Parts: sequence; C-alpha cells; structure tokens
Amino acid sequence: MDNTFSLAWRLFKHEARRGELTIILFAIVLSVAAVLSLSLFSERLQSALTERTAEFIAADRVLDSRKPVDQSWIEKAEEYDIATAHQVYTRSMAFANEQMTLIDLRAATQGYPLKGELKVADEPFGLGQVTDELPDAGEAWVESLLFQSLGLSLGSEIEIGDSNFTVTKVLNEVPDSGFSIFGGDPKVLIRNQDLAATNLTGPGSRVTYSYFFAGKSEALNDYYDWLEPKLDREINRWMSVEDDDSPIGRSVGRAEQYFLLASLLAIVLAAVSIAVAAQRYSQRHYDPVAIMKTLGASKKMVQRVYLLQISFITLLGIFIGTLAGVAIQQVVVSAIADKVSVSLDLWHWRPLLIAVFTGIVCSVLFSLYPLLKLFSVPPLRVLRRDLGASVSSRIIQFLAAGCAILLLMWAYSQNILISLILFVSGVVLVAALLVITYGLIWVGRKLGQGKMGAWQLAWARIKRRAMDNSVQLISFSVTIMLLLVVLVMRNDMIQQWRDQLPQGTPNYFLVNITEQQKPQLETHFADNNVQTDNFYPMIRGRFVAINDEKIRTAVSKEDQNEQTRGRDGLGREANVTWGLKLQEENKIIQGEWLDTWQEGEPYGVSVEAELADRLNIKMGDMLTFNIGSEVVEVKVTSLREVNWQTMQPNFFFVIQPEAMQAFSPTFITSFHLDGDRKSEITGLLQPFSNLTLFDVDARINQLREIVDQVSLAVEFILVLVLAAGSLVLIAQVQASMDERQQELAILRTLGAKGSLIRSSVIFEFLIIGSVAGLMAAVANELTLYLLQSQIFQMQGSIHLEYWLLAPVVGAVVVGILGAAGCWRLLALNTSQLLRKMV
Amino acid sequence: MIECKSITKTVSTSEGQLQILQPINFDVKAGESVAIVGASGSGKSTLLSLLAGLDQVSEGEIMLDGAQLHSLDEEQRAQLRGEKVGFIFQSFMLVQSLTALENIMLPAEIAGMADARKRGEEILELVGLGHRGTHYPNQLSGGEQQRVAIARAFITKPKILFADEPTGNLDAANSEKVESLLFDLNRDSDTTLVLVTHDMDLAKKCQRQLQMHAGELVEVTEASSQTQQRQVG
Repeated sequence: MDNTFSLAWRLFKHEARRGELTIILFAIVLSVAAVLSLSLFSERLQSALTERTAEFIAADRVLDSRKPVDQSWIEKAEEYDIATAHQVYTRSMAFANEQMTLIDLRAATQGYPLKGELKVADEPFGLGQVTDELPDAGEAWVESLLFQSLGLSLGSEIEIGDSNFTVTKVLNEVPDSGFSIFGGDPKVLIRNQDLAATNLTGPGSRVTYSYFFAGKSEALNDYYDWLEPKLDREINRWMSVEDDDSPIGRSVGRAEQYFLLASLLAIVLAAVSIAVAAQRYSQRHYDPVAIMKTLGASKKMVQRVYLLQISFITLLGIFIGTLAGVAIQQVVVSAIADKVSVSLDLWHWRPLLIAVFTGIVCSVLFSLYPLLKLFSVPPLRVLRRDLGASVSSRIIQFLAAGCAILLLMWAYSQNILISLILFVSGVVLVAALLVITYGLIWVGRKLGQGKMGAWQLAWARIKRRAMDNSVQLISFSVTIMLLLVVLVMRNDMIQQWRDQLPQGTPNYFLVNITEQQKPQLETHFADNNVQTDNFYPMIRGRFVAINDEKIRTAVSKEDQNEQTRGRDGLGREANVTWGLKLQEENKIIQGEWLDTWQEGEPYGVSVEAELADRLNIKMGDMLTFNIGSEVVEVKVTSLREVNWQTMQPNFFFVIQPEAMQAFSPTFITSFHLDGDRKSEITGLLQPFSNLTLFDVDARINQLREIVDQVSLAVEFILVLVLAAGSLVLIAQVQASMDERQQELAILRTLGAKGSLIRSSVIFEFLIIGSVAGLMAAVANELTLYLLQSQIFQMQGSIHLEYWLLAPVVGAVVVGILGAAGCWRLLALNTSQLLRKMV
Repeated sequence: MIECKSITKTVSTSEGQLQILQPINFDVKAGESVAIVGASGSGKSTLLSLLAGLDQVSEGEIMLDGAQLHSLDEEQRAQLRGEKVGFIFQSFMLVQSLTALENIMLPAEIAGMADARKRGEEILELVGLGHRGTHYPNQLSGGEQQRVAIARAFITKPKILFADEPTGNLDAANSEKVESLLFDLNRDSDTTLVLVTHDMDLAKKCQRQLQMHAGELVEVTEASSQTQQRQVG
C-alpha cells in the first residue's frame, strides 16, 4: 500500500507540474468555484432581499388572528429572542366637521413596525419623514385623504367610536399597507392603549389582531414549530415574506427561482466540464496503465493508484475552487455593494457544502466510467497500440452521468419539478444530437468525397471521430443551451418587471368622477401639464339575488386588505364595471370572457372566482343587481382569478357593456406626477372637491427600487454563469485540440500547409459550433417554455432570434477558440509536435 | 525455462475466425538467448505476447519457469510477469510523467521492493545515465530512453527478458550501444533472453534464431552450428 500511495503521489506531483492534470483540475476548480460563488452570492442576496421584503409586512413573520391570542404565545416568542409588536385593525366611522367617513383604524403597540419605516408629514400630500415614534395617547395620525374628505387640518379633533383624538401628523406611509390601489379606506394610526376606550372591539365587531415577529430565521422557524399545533386555521393565519403575493414578493420570488436555476445550471456546467475532462484524462493514461500491468501490477494496484490520483486531484480542485469561489463572490458583492446591501458578514455553510459535494460527486461519478475504461486497458497495448479500453456501451456512461446530474440538482434545489425540467430537456437534447451527429456524418460522407480540400478534411475528421464528436457536440450544445437559458430567462424576466412599471406609471388614482366632470378634469389637468389616463366607468350596485333567491347581504369586498385580514366584507354596495377587455392579471378559469352580445340573450357577467366560491355562485347562474332604481339581471358567463396586489383597479363583477347603457356611471382615472411636483396636488384637485385621490407613489417607488436591485443581482448572476460557461467552452475546445494533436502532427509531417490545416480545423469547429448553437437554441426553447410555464409562472414566449443568433455565435466562438488552439499547436515545429505525441 | 506445446492463436474478424499462429512447439533453456525473426505480419510479436503472458493462447500449453501460463488468469499472469519477466519495447514504453529514475524504479515498486530507489540509482549508473535520473523521457534521446528501458527491465533481476525490436527505433550508433548493453547485462545476470527482431545482425548475436513465416515457425538456427536447420511445428 505504501508503494502504491507513493507511486500515486509521485504520478500526481509530476503530472500536475507538467500541466497534464490542468484540464481536469481546472474543471473541478471551475465547478466548485462556480457553484460556491453562485450559491453563496445568491444566498447572501436572498437574505438581503428577504430582509428588504420583510419591510412590506412590517416584520419577518406576522400572525393574523380574528381574536386576541393567548399572551403566553407572545411570551414564548420572546423566549426565542424574537422581537414582537402588535397591532389591531378595524374599520370604523370617523366624524369631524359634521362629516363622516369610513376609516381603516390601526392601533399599534410600541415597536411597530419591526421592519420597514413609518413616515409622517406635516401637511397633506407632503413629503414624508421617517419616524420611530407612535402617536401619543389621545393623538391620531391620519392619511392625507382624510384631511380632504373630512376637511381636517393639523390640530383638528376627530371622533372615532366613543373617543376623541387630536390629529397631530399626516400619516404618509405605513410599511404593511399592501399594493392594492383601493388600499381600503384612509388609515388612522392610534396607540394600542387608546383602543379600548373607543369601544370598537366589542362582540360582533370585525377586528383583526396582527402580531409581528422579527428575529433570526432559525429562531422564527423553531417558534413556528412550537406554535403551529396551537393555531386554529379558521381564526389564525401565519404569514412570512415568502407568502407575499405582492409585486415585490413575486419579483423577489422569481429572482430566487432564477438564482436557484443559475446555481443548478452551474452544477450541470460543472458536470459537463468534469465529464469531458475525465474522459480525456482516462484516454491519456491508457499507456501508463498498460505499462504498469505489463510490469506486473495487479488490477487492484492500478485501481488504487488511479483512484488515489483522482482523489488528490479532487481535493486540490476543491481547495483551489473554494478559495476562488469565495474570492469571486466577494468581488461581486463589493461591486454591487452600493446598490444592494449584501452583508459580507453572513457566512452560509450550505453553499460550501453544496460546492464541495458537487466537486466530489462530479469527480467520482463522472470519472467512474472513464476510470473503468482505463482499468480495462489490456497489457497487450504495449505491443499493439491500437488496443484501447474494452468496457461495454456508452449508454451506461450516459445513464450514470444523467442520474448523477439529476440527483445533484434534486439534492440542491429540493425541487423535483425544476430538476426534471432541466434534466428532460437535456435528455431530449442529447438524443437529438446523437441523431444529428450521425445524420451529419452521413451528409459528410457525400460531401467528403473528391479532392482533399480544407472542407473535405474537416468533414472527414468529423466522420472518423463520430463518437468523440458526438460527445463534444453534446457538451458544446449543453453549455450553449445553459447559457441561453440563463440569458433569455433574465431578459424575459427583467422585461416583464419593467413592463410592470414602465416610466410614467400612474402613481395617483382618482375616483368618483362624474360624466360632467370628465371633460373639465381633462382640460384642467392638461392646462397644468398633467396627462390623465383612460377613464373607466364604475357604478355602485347592490347585489340582491342569485337565481331569484334573495341574499341577505350585499357584497362589497373591493380591497385586498380586507381580504387578507379575513373579514367577510359583506355589507356595502359593490363596485361594478363594464367593458370588453379583460384586465391584466385577471385570468379566466371557467367559461369565456364577455364577448359580443346577441339580441334576446341574457347579458353576461364575469365574477371573481373567490367571491363566487364564497357565495356559491356557479356558471350559468342569474345574478340580480339593484342599480339606482333599476334592476339588472345578468348571467354568469365566466369566473376570473384576480390578483388583488396589482397597481390597478380590480372588480368583483364585470358586466356586458350593453347591459349598462342606461346608467350614468362615475369614472376612475389615473395620472402620473413626478415626485418633485407632489405639492401641486392640492391645487390640482381644488375644483373637484368630491373626488377621492389614492396616492400609490411611495409604493411604486419602493417597488421600482426593489425591482432595480433584483435586476442588478440577476445581471451579476448572469455574468457569473456566462463566465463559467465560457471557461467550460474553452476547456472543451482545449481538450479536443489535444486529441487532434496526433493528426495535426501527421498532416504537418506529410507537408500539409499550415493554412490548410488551420482552415480545416476552423471549418470543423465552425460546423460543430453552428450545429451545437442551433440545437442549443431549440433545446433552450423547450426548457424555457417548461420553466416559464411551470416554475416562474410567466407567459411563455418564442425566441426566434436565438435560432439564428445561437448557431452564428456558436460557430464564431467555437471557431475562434478552435483556431486559437490550433494556432498554438501549429506554432510548434513538426519535431516538437511529434514529440508531444509520445 | 519456456516450453511451448502446440500453441495456436485465433482471432475473430468480421470475416470469421482467423488463425494467426499455427501450432508451434519449441523450448527455451534457462540462460539461453533466442531471437524470433521474420517479416512483418509473420506472427513474431504475437508469439512474444503469448510467451510473455501478455495475451492468452487459443490452444496449447506454455510453461514459463515451471508455471502453466496457459491456465493462469490475467491477475496471476501479471504477478508472474512482475516476479520473473522483464520487458524492452521498440517504442520504449516509458511512463511520460515519471523521471528516468522513477521509470526504472517502477517494476521494483510494483513488486513491493523496499530498496527500489537504491537499486534504481545503481542500475541507472550502470547504463551510463546517472546524471539524467531526474529527466523526463521526452527530455532524453531515443538511445537514452532505450537504455532507461533496459535498466527498468533488469532492476528486478528477472529470470527471463522479452525484447520487442529493441533497436527498431534507433540509429546505427545507438543500436550498437543498446545491443551491447543488453547482451552484457543479460550475460552478467544470467537471464534468459527472447527477442523479436527483423534485424538479422542482432538476431545472430543470439544463441538461437527462430524463423517465423505466415504464423508458422519454419526454421530453428543454432548460432553454434549455422548449418543445422530443421522444420519445426
């Protein structure tokens, strides 16, 4: 064993020094570095983004409850070193100046918000300042809207329930106000201790108790484990930032999926590069194995020597790869430090474990088959150089490699779907490529006949090295495909984010505009250089019957805020709209969207699915609305899923326009106003005192900021993957150049001109590169379709431009790399070249 | 030392079975030097591979220093080679990533000899390459590489040495050096030598020549009485 070890060590030392292990070592280093830097970076980024997202629920976790929870639950949280705060929400009427309006009352304890910022201003619609405080006892902070509707000013008194409060600040921004346009009624913030005196929380009142928690995620998870069995699903609802369905939550969610995808692709890249390198490593050791066996080495000894050598290489590769990975992500993190605050102090062990695990698994599993081949080399090779390895079919290699990749991806992502999508696309690609390779060889046989020019030489070489070329083609294609997937996914994703919030996105909404006010408002706004958006009709109607069966309550649940707080939301009139265009983020899940109406048929209505479920409304039911003094009967023709978290008005009922011709609706419109013109709002609305203004500017800015940060992070991930992929490509070309060495030497010796050899190699790589590019583009399309529809919940799209771009870029890049490698070899004189072959 | 009884070799080709060695019988005595000569494709290298246990006979028996080579499996033959056999090849077959000294030490290390390095250094000196021990094969000339290969062949003091065209890749001057080294070492260590060559001058330096033709052993010539010829097989 001693001799075996020292022999293995000596071989390793010499081969490393002579650069013979460079390619396999490089492959392992690259794998470990890529996987480590990507996953470390994305974990750190995720922590940063989660932290940022937490601001939108004012905590890391929130427990909503319809009843106050047992005090021991809160005490338990504190035992886990978790910070807590508490807020009570209810809707109530507020009175002032002989006017009244519905308000969203929030009574908070000290500490609220645990995450995010509370902003107050000194004048309605003024610029907000961050505050750490809460209103003092007997004081209330109210939103600008309420100043408008109740004619308040700072110092005014408002009556809420049985108490009076002095308005001392304009409530500008609360972190957990959601993204719904109709963010509910104007908010009023008071101290929790003042709530009891209002007598609003008695029996029968609709109150939501929110408990906020912030702390380390392990502590929070442990606490939840303790808490979960005690929760009553009817009453309690546990929320974390991951459950956030707001645009921010979804952007961050998608970005996280993207990071995961990128890391998975890095693993596949790693596997591909190690597989290629291991194959080459094995082939280069056929002679030493034959010699050792001839000199009396047993199979076991040969196995030990090479397994030890692979272990040394793996260990060294993992060591260098780890250092490189940490260094790379450190550089990336410092590069974006001023844009996204990613903490360098946070060290995550998981990425390191994953990277080391990937290095080991890839090295072991991907070198297994080449090593088995190596071990099978017969001693007779010393006399008959044509004898190679004799191990059964390559299918075993493909199967073993495929299973290894799938297992790695699954282990890493814990997501079988995303792993399977990537895996199946890969398998389809490999199968298609095998067919293509043999097809090409067949074509090549036709073309390759005749005079021996550079093209013929290239084709002849492709033909002769069919199997080697197919492996090479597969590795090029897989690499290009992976690069395309991350590139196109990033483009699509960022595009969709930008589309969500284009420049000039309306940041104010106006409702209650009458038919007469419409032209006046348009002119007045235009005079003030403000562009209004479309006017949408809206009418309030009382929903009274389903199929002639009277319902006792009318429906009004127009804001998501209520919905998430779990209130029934019945008791008011509903906002009804009409139109022929399905709004964005609305999805028909049953029936068909309102279409042309035929004389004599009942009018159609599209109902929001959750409401339909709650009120047991089925397709084809006849619904009756009282609108003004009229009765409108409509037939349910579709059910819609609505995302209430979008920056647009959403409706429970959308009715066929023809049914509503007799009514005069009010209108809703939106406009964009730059931040520096905020102070103009009061003047702008002066002539229209009946209008209600919704200000979503702060939300939009927050959203844009987050999307920008996430986009930037995605860009960096893309750059990292592209860099890793390019290096893999270079390594692959390098490996295959070495395989061509012998042939080049012979051609050179026979007097072939450098230009002929060079052109033939370039042509060969051009052919391989373009086929790989084309196949990658096709496979990319399949992968993206599956990923976007199954994982990213995005609209799939075809990317025809890449069908042209990928083969061209593939041909050019692979051609250039091949030419560079060839150049290096041809720079040697013939005798040096021959000597390298020995 | 070697006894061959009706050994044949048949290989499978796309056109069916092809017998590349017809039944061959001959003996090699301990300490004897034998040259197998013949044109390219006559089967001399195949015969050598069978005698050295690198390949298995299709039929017949080979006894190598008392061991039934034909009934041993690959592992047992490897062990036998390690203990009793040395090799020299036309293309030297040195491990490119080991130095000259390490190449020489290789068989001794494989055999588990504790003094491999000491032996290696001594024999390296003996072949006149003491100053080139740290050089890699591609830093040595062809003649030097073959001298390293000879040193490697003798380090374990094998009972029998097989050489396949040992001077085939060398110029005249180097050939001569390598030949004299080979025969000197062979004589000094009382090794049995079986070499394959098409170089009649080299063959004549052996005590006996076996002539191969189309897979058959057609002549045996004793160096001591050049006239004595007979048909064998």
